[in-house]
Amino acid sequence: MWFWVSLALLCGLIASGCISIYYYNESVKYQKLYNQAVKDLRHLKSHMLVNVLIDYGNGTQEWHNETRVPIGATLFDVTREIAKINYTKGQFGVFITAINGRGGKPGYYWLWYTWNSTSAEWEIGPVAADAFTLHHGDTVSWVYEKPSW
Amino acid sequence: MIPVKKLSFIAIMTSLCITTNYLLIGIPNIKVMDLFVFVSGYVMGSLSGALVGVLTWLVYGTINPYGFNLPTLVATCIGESFYGIFGGLSAKLSLKVIPEQAHIDSKSLFIGSLKLGILGFLITFMYDLFTNVVTAFVFEIPLFAWIILGVPFIITHVLSNFFFFFLVGGLLINTLKKISPLEVKNH
Repeated sequence: MWFWVSLALLCGLIASGCISIYYYNESVKYQKLYNQAVKDLRHLKSHMLVNVLIDYGNGTQEWHNETRVPIGATLFDVTREIAKINYTKGQFGVFITAINGRGGKPGYYWLWYTWNSTSAEWEIGPVAADAFTLHHGDTVSWVYEKPSW
Repeated sequence: MIPVKKLSFIAIMTSLCITTNYLLIGIPNIKVMDLFVFVSGYVMGSLSGALVGVLTWLVYGTINPYGFNLPTLVATCIGESFYGIFGGLSAKLSLKVIPEQAHIDSKSLFIGSLKLGILGFLITFMYDLFTNVVTAFVFEIPLFAWIILGVPFIITHVLSNFFFFFLVGGLLINTLKKISPLEVKNH
């Protein structure tokens, strides 16, 4: 009789041990996820998310979705963050001459556009990249092309 | 030399195990095979039970959609034979998991089934622990982390086997005892 009672208790011990390990493991996992979420939320107080497309004009397109940048950053700041650029400074602001080594082809320029979600169209940037302050959720693109004008 | 009737019994039980394994392939760690192997050992002796376990895994472990790995196959063969060996030992040691025909009542049936459930639980835990240790060594995974990761599967396996052994173990042993293997046992 006591033999079987001991075995039954052993089963209970194993079952409760396994279940404890399982829930401890789960709590550690969710604690980590919670801490990460809190960290992300704190980060969003001083940062924003923007989407940037780099179109190299040769069929290659590079999306940098949800790029985290400080609030108040300009397009120039963001571009410098995500790519290696060459630029010159003029009276109207910076002028990007090459992105990730692509540039310098006669008649071709790096132009930037902003996505208008109302008209669902790309609209050409009205100012120099360092004069355009981005907002949370903005989608902008750099396109290497030969302007029609 | 194993008698022909015993060999036939081993073959039938092995095919039953293989069939149910493939039927339950979509449900990880829930298999009635373990009960069949235990019952084979209980009715026909440890060697026969162990053979049923090993032969089943030789087929099921080789032709398996989840892949084939020799060290794991060896581990599962050895681990599965635990059920057959302990089944044989339970009969030999007269652990009274099956009430005597003269004293069958609901209480003794319940206690007998509970004993079977406890045995099923503990052998399954041994099997899982053994196969997890071997797998961790084979794939060079830290043992403790591997066992922790495997805990949900261990819980599923031990609890399902507890219920299989508890609910149908006694019935299966009594049924198989009534047919030919009982005669074979006397050979």
